[in-house]
Amino acid sequence: MKNVKRTVLMVISLLALFLFLTGCGNSNAASKKTLTFWYAGDGDTAVKPIIKKFTKETGISVKIQSIPWSQYNDKLLTAASSKNGPDVLLMGTTQMANFVSSKSLLDISKYVKNDKALNPNNFFSGSENTTKFSGKYYAVPWYVETRVLYYRKDILKSVGYDHAPRTWSELYEVASKLSKRGKNMYGFNVDGSEPTFGFMFARQNGAQLVKNGKTQFNSSEMVSSLEYLNKFIQNGVSPKQDQKLTIAQSFGGKAPIPMFISGPWMLSTIKEEAGLKDSQWAVAELPKGKANNMSVTGGGNIAVFQYSKNKTNAVKLLKFLSKRENQLTYYKNSNSMPTLKSAWTDSSLKSEKIQVFRKQLNNSEAMPALKQWEEIGQNYLKVWEPIALKNNNIKEAMDKFNKETQQLIDK
Amino acid sequence: MHSSFLKKIVPYTFVFPALLLLAIFSLIPIVIALLISFTGLDITGLGDWSQIKFIGFSNYLQLFQDSAFLQSIMNTVVYVLVGVPLVIVISLTIAILINSGRNGFFKMMRLVFYTPSITNTVAIAVVWTYLYNPSLGLFNTLLAKVGVGPIGWLTDPNVAKFSLIILAVWKAVGLNMLIFLAALQGVPRSLYEAAELDGANYWEQTRHITLPSLKFSIFFVTVTTLIGWFQFFDEPFIMTKGGPLNSTNSVALFVYQNGFQNSNFGYAAAGSFVMFVAIIVATLIQFKLQEKQRGE
Repeated sequence: MKNVKRTVLMVISLLALFLFLTGCGNSNAASKKTLTFWYAGDGDTAVKPIIKKFTKETGISVKIQSIPWSQYNDKLLTAASSKNGPDVLLMGTTQMANFVSSKSLLDISKYVKNDKALNPNNFFSGSENTTKFSGKYYAVPWYVETRVLYYRKDILKSVGYDHAPRTWSELYEVASKLSKRGKNMYGFNVDGSEPTFGFMFARQNGAQLVKNGKTQFNSSEMVSSLEYLNKFIQNGVSPKQDQKLTIAQSFGGKAPIPMFISGPWMLSTIKEEAGLKDSQWAVAELPKGKANNMSVTGGGNIAVFQYSKNKTNAVKLLKFLSKRENQLTYYKNSNSMPTLKSAWTDSSLKSEKIQVFRKQLNNSEAMPALKQWEEIGQNYLKVWEPIALKNNNIKEAMDKFNKETQQLIDK
Repeated sequence: MHSSFLKKIVPYTFVFPALLLLAIFSLIPIVIALLISFTGLDITGLGDWSQIKFIGFSNYLQLFQDSAFLQSIMNTVVYVLVGVPLVIVISLTIAILINSGRNGFFKMMRLVFYTPSITNTVAIAVVWTYLYNPSLGLFNTLLAKVGVGPIGWLTDPNVAKFSLIILAVWKAVGLNMLIFLAALQGVPRSLYEAAELDGANYWEQTRHITLPSLKFSIFFVTVTTLIGWFQFFDEPFIMTKGGPLNSTNSVALFVYQNGFQNSNFGYAAAGSFVMFVAIIVATLIQFKLQEKQRGE
C-alpha cells in the first residue's frame, strides 16, 4: 500500500516536471502563414489597421508584438544572440549599424533592385542612407524625422522679433534678450541629454565627424561650435542641466525656455499638453551656421530577420508598407512623417508646421553609421557634462575624446 | 530491493526541479558570463560566433584603469556603507516600536511602513523624481517656505547620491521591518516577565533580551540587504542615469550601460564578475562572523 502511494507521488512529480519543461520550449506550432512583426512603440493604433488590410488582400496573417522603445534594444539583442526572433521588425535608424554587424538582418538588395515599390529613389536620401551598408540594402525606410526649432511667437515678439532666428548669431542675440526677462528665465535649451546635439551644431559649422575612418572630433570647427554652445550656458542663456520640466512648464505660460530644438513628436505633445493657442507658437528651419543649417535625420526602417522561415511573405509585407496610401494612413495614426517622397503631395501634409519639416528634410543627414555610434554618443555626453557644469577647457576635452574614439573605432 | 531504490530516489525527485531551475537560470549563466569576460564579445560576435576573440585578462586590466568604473566602485561602496546600516537600524527601531502595542494604530503603522516595499520601484522613482524636481518639486517648495535655498537633489553631484539613498532606505525599511516583527513575536514573553521581576528596565530588556533573540534575523537582513545594495541599480537607472558627472553611477548600472547600451558584452561581463566576487567575499565575511559569535 505504501509503495503504491510512493509510486503515484513519483509519477505525479515527474509529470509535473515534464509539463514544466515542455512549457518552456514554446513549440512554434502556429500556422506557417503567420508572420511575426516586432514593433517598437504603440503598434496597435499605428500599424494594426494597415496590417489588417494586408491580411485581407493577401491572406497572410500577421501577429504584431508591441514593445516599448526603452526595452526594444534589449529585446533585439536577445533575438540576435539566440537567432530566434520575428519575421519582420522595426529598426530605429540608429540601431541599423549594430544589427547589420551582428548579421541579424536579411540582405534585401535583390528585391530593392528589382522592385519598383522598393526603389531607393522613392525615399528621402537621408533615410535611404540608413538602410545601405557597403552597397547592400538591409531595410526599407518606414518613417522619417528631423529636428527643427520650436519657438514661442508671442514671446519673441515681446522682445522685438517677428521671426525665428535665421543664423547662429541671431539665435544667440534673441536667446540672450529672452533670458533677461527675469529670474529662472532662459532663451534657448542647449540639450545636454541628446547625444547628437553637439554633433549637429558642429556639422553646421563645417565640421566633419569621421573622415575615412579617422575621427575629427578635435577639429577647430568642432571645438568652436562647442564654444558657441557653451556661451549659452556660461552666460545663463540656457539652463546648465535638464530642468526636468514638463512641456507645459517649460514652453507654456511665460515659457522659461521659449526656444528649443526637437523632432516632429513634439508637435502633438505641445498641442495636447502645453495649453497654448496654435498662433502662439511655431516651428522654423534651424538657424544657419558658418557652413549650413543641417539637421539630424532619424526615424525607423522595416527589416526582415535573417533567420526568418518566412522570408517571401515578409518581403511582401515590406512592399505593402511602402505603398503611398499606407504611408499616409501611418502618418494619420501616429504623426510620424512618411519617408516616401510622393506621399508629401497629400493634403494631410499641407499644414504650415509640417511643411517646415519637409523643407528641413532637404538639409538633413543621419549620424555616421558606425556600430560604435551609440557608445560614442554616450561618451560625448560625458565629455559635455563637465564642460557645461564646470566650464572645462573644450579643446583639451575634445583632444582626449578624439583619441579615445579613434581607439574605439579601431578596436 | 525495489522498494529501497524507490525510497532513495523519491527525495531527489522533489529537489530536482529546484536544482534544475538553479542550474538553468543561475549556475550555467554564471559560468557563461565568466567565459565571456575573457573575450572581446561585441555586437558582431553576437551574431557570428566565429568572430569572438579570446583576449585573456585584458578586460579586467582595462576595467581597473577605467576612471568611470573606479568611480562607480567608490559610489557603490558609499551606497553600501551608508545604506545598509541605515536600513537595519531604522527597520529594527520601527519594528520594536510597532511591537510595543497591539491596537489599531500600531496595525495601521505597520501598513504605512510596509506599503513602499510592495510598490513598484519604477513607479516610486518616477514620483520621487517629481518630489526632487529642482524648481517645482515638493521638497524645494517646502524648503523655500522656511527660507532655505533650493537644493539640487538630483542635479548637484555632491547631493544626488544621498538623495538616492534616502529613497532606497525609505523603500527597503518595510520588508525588513516585517521580518524583525515576525522574529520579535517569537520571543517568549516569559523572558521579559522574568527580567521585570529582576528589576530590569525597558532599555535593559531591549539590550539583553530582544537584540540577542533577534541575532539570526539581524544576520539574515544584513546579508540580503548587503547583496541588494551591492546591486544598486533601479534608482540611478531611472532617476539620474548615473549622472550628474557620474556621481550616482553604481557598478550594476555601469555593467548595464556597457553591456546593453554600448554592446561591449565581454567588458560588461568582466565588470559583473568583479561585482560577483565582491558580493561573495562580503557574504563569506558575514558567515564567518556569525560562526564566531555562535562559537562563543
